[in-house]
Amino acid sequence: MTHTIRLNVNGKEHTVEVPSRRLLIDCLRYDLGLTGTKEGCSVGVCGACTVLMDGKPISSCLALALFADGKEIVTVEGLAREDRLDRVQQAFIDYGGFQCGICTPGMVVTAKALLDENPDPTVDEIKEWMMGNLCRCTGYYKIIESIQGATALEPGGE
Amino acid sequence: MRAFEYREPDNLEEVLSLLHDHGEDAKIIAGGTALVIMLNQRLIMPSYLISLRKLAGLNSVDSADGALQLGALVTHREMETSPVIRDQIPVLAETFRQVATLRIRNMATVGGTLAHADPSQDSPVTLMALDARVGLSSSGGSREVPLDEFFTDYYETVLQPDELLTHVQVPLPKPHTGSIYLKFLPKTEDDYATVGVAASVEIEPSSQLCRECRIVLGGVAPTPLRVKEAEALLSGQKLAPELLHKAASVVQEHTDPISDSRGAADYKREMAGVCVRRALEQAWQRALTESP
Amino acid sequence: MSYGKIGQPLGRIEGPAKVTGEAKYTADVLLPGMIWGKVLRSPLPHAKIVSIDTQEAEQMPGILAVLTAKDLPDLLTGRLVYDMPVLAIDRVRFIGEKVAVVAAEDPDMAEDALASIDVEYEEMPAVFDAHEAMKSEAPLLHPDYRSYAHAPQKFFSDIPNVHSHVTWKLGDIDKGFALAKRVFEHTFNTPAVHQGYIEPHASVVAIDPDGRVNVWISNKMPVRARELLADVIEIPEERIVVHLAQIGADFGGKGSLMDAPLCYHLAKRTGRPVKMVMTYTEELMAGNPRHPTSIFLRTGVTEEGQIVARQAKVVFNSGAYAAFKPVPFVNIPGAKDAAGVYGTPHIRIDAYSVYANCVPSGHFRAPGDLQVNFAVESSMDMIAEDLGLDRLEFRKQNLLKDGDWVPGGPQLEEVRVAETLAAAVKASSWNQPKSQPNRGLGLAVSHRLIGTGEANTQLTLEEDGTIQVLTPVPEVGTGAHTILQQIVAETLFLSLDQVRVETASEIFKTDSGSGASRVTYVGGQVVQQAAGELMKLILAAGAKGLGCAENEVVFEGGRVVHSESDGSLSLAEVAKMGGDGKSALRVKKSLNLSEGPPMTTFTAQVVELEVDPETGQIRLLDVVTAHDVGTIINPLGHQGQIEGGLLQGVGFGLIEELRMEDGQVSTLNLGDYKLPNIRDIPPLTTVLVEEELGPAPFHGKAIGESSITPTGAAIANAVYDAVGVRFHDLPITAEKVYWALQQHSGGEG
Repeated sequence: MTHTIRLNVNGKEHTVEVPSRRLLIDCLRYDLGLTGTKEGCSVGVCGACTVLMDGKPISSCLALALFADGKEIVTVEGLAREDRLDRVQQAFIDYGGFQCGICTPGMVVTAKALLDENPDPTVDEIKEWMMGNLCRCTGYYKIIESIQGATALEPGGE
Repeated sequence: MRAFEYREPDNLEEVLSLLHDHGEDAKIIAGGTALVIMLNQRLIMPSYLISLRKLAGLNSVDSADGALQLGALVTHREMETSPVIRDQIPVLAETFRQVATLRIRNMATVGGTLAHADPSQDSPVTLMALDARVGLSSSGGSREVPLDEFFTDYYETVLQPDELLTHVQVPLPKPHTGSIYLKFLPKTEDDYATVGVAASVEIEPSSQLCRECRIVLGGVAPTPLRVKEAEALLSGQKLAPELLHKAASVVQEHTDPISDSRGAADYKREMAGVCVRRALEQAWQRALTESP
Repeated sequence: MSYGKIGQPLGRIEGPAKVTGEAKYTADVLLPGMIWGKVLRSPLPHAKIVSIDTQEAEQMPGILAVLTAKDLPDLLTGRLVYDMPVLAIDRVRFIGEKVAVVAAEDPDMAEDALASIDVEYEEMPAVFDAHEAMKSEAPLLHPDYRSYAHAPQKFFSDIPNVHSHVTWKLGDIDKGFALAKRVFEHTFNTPAVHQGYIEPHASVVAIDPDGRVNVWISNKMPVRARELLADVIEIPEERIVVHLAQIGADFGGKGSLMDAPLCYHLAKRTGRPVKMVMTYTEELMAGNPRHPTSIFLRTGVTEEGQIVARQAKVVFNSGAYAAFKPVPFVNIPGAKDAAGVYGTPHIRIDAYSVYANCVPSGHFRAPGDLQVNFAVESSMDMIAEDLGLDRLEFRKQNLLKDGDWVPGGPQLEEVRVAETLAAAVKASSWNQPKSQPNRGLGLAVSHRLIGTGEANTQLTLEEDGTIQVLTPVPEVGTGAHTILQQIVAETLFLSLDQVRVETASEIFKTDSGSGASRVTYVGGQVVQQAAGELMKLILAAGAKGLGCAENEVVFEGGRVVHSESDGSLSLAEVAKMGGDGKSALRVKKSLNLSEGPPMTTFTAQVVELEVDPETGQIRLLDVVTAHDVGTIINPLGHQGQIEGGLLQGVGFGLIEELRMEDGQVSTLNLGDYKLPNIRDIPPLTTVLVEEELGPAPFHGKAIGESSITPTGAAIANAVYDAVGVRFHDLPITAEKVYWALQQHSGGEG
């Protein structure tokens, strides 16, 4: 009951043999070794496993790996270009948008998609986009500041 | 997750034929946001998973003959952002916008949320208040079912094992109609509704009396709950606090909630009354604003 | 005083790794040939295990081992007292207790096998409530608890199921009540609350061919973990290496071995590296949440409104095991704050930690402080009202002063509670006329003594002239490593990039790890002292190299300079010369502080909120949090601690509850166990009442466990102010408010 899927992850084509029950998060983490994407709640609530599928944030814990066949996936490992951090990544460091860092991959991936779609979001728009990403460390204040701060930086690595 | 056979047909005939052959032992998967959790927790253990992800033709929003036709695979995010929906039935876009989080809305589909039949979901409530009908197909033929006859119990519908929900038809609201979906979230902003209420009120513009209305609730019964007795109370009446209180208490009598982390049954029943009052009042106000 | 590196709002040194996904947490460890462990848990709260049939499971595809207690040494474990088996031995004591473990090629196969293990149980009478468990007819969970290793004899009790009874006293409580004109009695309850870190516990064990045991574990005190693991797997400590990974937050909850002993046994059995990662459902069912607590307060007050006596009885539901409590008395330290921030001459506090058939409880940020502060600060408002006093004035009249004692603490100096309280009040709308109906203001004040314990470091001048700082404390998210870097850079007059902080546990024998707001204080001092000693070595080596006396050289501009000759050496040059021409310049240092400074840290909060009287829903309109702070070493990290703690306090006050019925947790995923999200945050004003007189390096104070504590009480007091209803139980949900209002208004809603 295995299937061969072809997916593009962070610009690189992969062909992977997966059992039908393999989740996308496990495919990324264990079949491809991309452990930047984290698993928290396993029920699509916490957002630690957020990746972009064809540009849209999704929960990789709620997607079968088979869903990614023929798709473009972007994970946290795919944001920086040639050692230059994406502006969202830089802003999360500068503004203290994380502490333990476990939610950060999902946060920066979601925030990146937000700024791609809406380069100058209001605080309410930031909150609406980021509501699906839980952080237990920061109380979110500095996450909002980080995303606002990122809008003032040059879009990096592109 | 228990192992299963995965099929991913690219045409409807093949989906229906697979359902015909394996329906009893198969599950349809579209966005997967609810189903994958159930699979993962082994609450369901189908032998076949029939994916609609490569199926074409069920993902458009079309406007024709005084109704919107929604393909079953239209995502929540598309419902929320579609210019056609925002323009013609704004309450529908507003409702889908309140479902879970953006990540879920990017995956979850219109057909999926109806077929899943979780009574705590938001959009079935609004769709029912808008008199939506669902199209069901099997290899034996097709039928249309009004949404208020579709749900039968918690996670149960009239869908037969060999049937697929293919589309939803939503009539455009009549003129002088105001609609609202009110999601009561007393704990956190990301949760299932403790109570959800969709209200739709059509008024007679000159007299401002209610001509017709719909009251549907989520989270307070085994299925989305339409309360026709309360609707009847409002017909031909003028908006007044006493009237809303009366309607609210009729609604409360019809609720049958369960106790869970979103509230004990008796609290949900009380809140159903409060939310119905508030929803009716807001819907009525919208109807008035839309009637110059 | 102005500094170079201290006081800078610096981003984290581990920042680039964390924002790119390069940072490795335990669950990210991938080893060749690694397999997966999964456990079968008890569905019953209290039962004898009659038999376990694993035969079918063993034969399933991909299954490499199935173990039960009979396959393991007959040993118990725990953070201090050893009372918990690795797998249940003959008996289960809570729903979620580990009964069997499976190792498989992948986690799905392991789950397949779990489903076919057949366990026969014989149910036993169970007890879930701590007060019920203390009754004579209650079933005894641990009849032999006095015989457990490290059980604190001094705190044994004759009360059934009480495994630790601690008393704190000041003055003479009877005399105190004799002085009182009015005596008040109040009881409060708080529920189990999960720490809510997003990283579930993970463990990986790989055994080298020579028998060395490699361990990766989400544990904030790896040196202690090595010691505990050595005991329970019967391998000498020297043969165990704990590799430090990032920790996806701790908040007090990550101090145990959790599944590491099972990983070891599976690795030993199969010859393969084994990983175990708890699901979040397992976390909620069998993590180590904050203790459900009941607090009884008896308060004696004079005619003039002076508090003269405080008696407290604090009962902590320890759950089925005491294994997650790290302190020597195996109880919860926060109980000692039951007199609050008020100078009270006569105090008696009794804290009982009680076994019951529930998930074992553990530490969560400011353990015990929150529960007790909710009680104390609620009671302050209640007493003031009863006495016809203004609640702020009543507090001010009783505040701690220099020279006062606090239970379990020192005689205080530099008490700055009045200033802190005044600052909070001033920044809020406290003194403005009440604006609208159903709106209210509440305040609460707390204090926290800084933590003590042992910290270690090793500083080395590397050949490239940089300083390597080795610490056995992992980065749990608090920014400790950045702070250690700042302290060393400041002490040695170096730039930040000349100081590298790295982790290592092997070279240290003992260490307290991260916790108790200890790291900046003890850990900061040890690196500061080590840096000072290293500087002496550098100067000595430099002088030798320059051919002059030690007192003729100075360290200037990153070089050792002989001022007379103008000769100088860079740090790299000094490093190459080494101490005696061979070995590197290195200082290894340990600091063990058993007594804290005569100083505490205060927090005052004012909450303004609005209650929807039709639904009971509470909306926070404004929160002011004021803190008594010393020199702030890293303002960015400092403010982050305040904000994160505050929102956890809001969760405790309004949202969070690990709901349990007959020992069964019903909120078993993060969809049902709600944590506050970004849309739930209140408008927040932080006020820092600064003065450079803290006990930590450069006169810093602790902050990590401050802002979380008074929020619950401030909310409760604000709700009372808004709608006149007093809550004795947290969280204050809309539902509770609604019914209370119904009752309050005689059902006229």
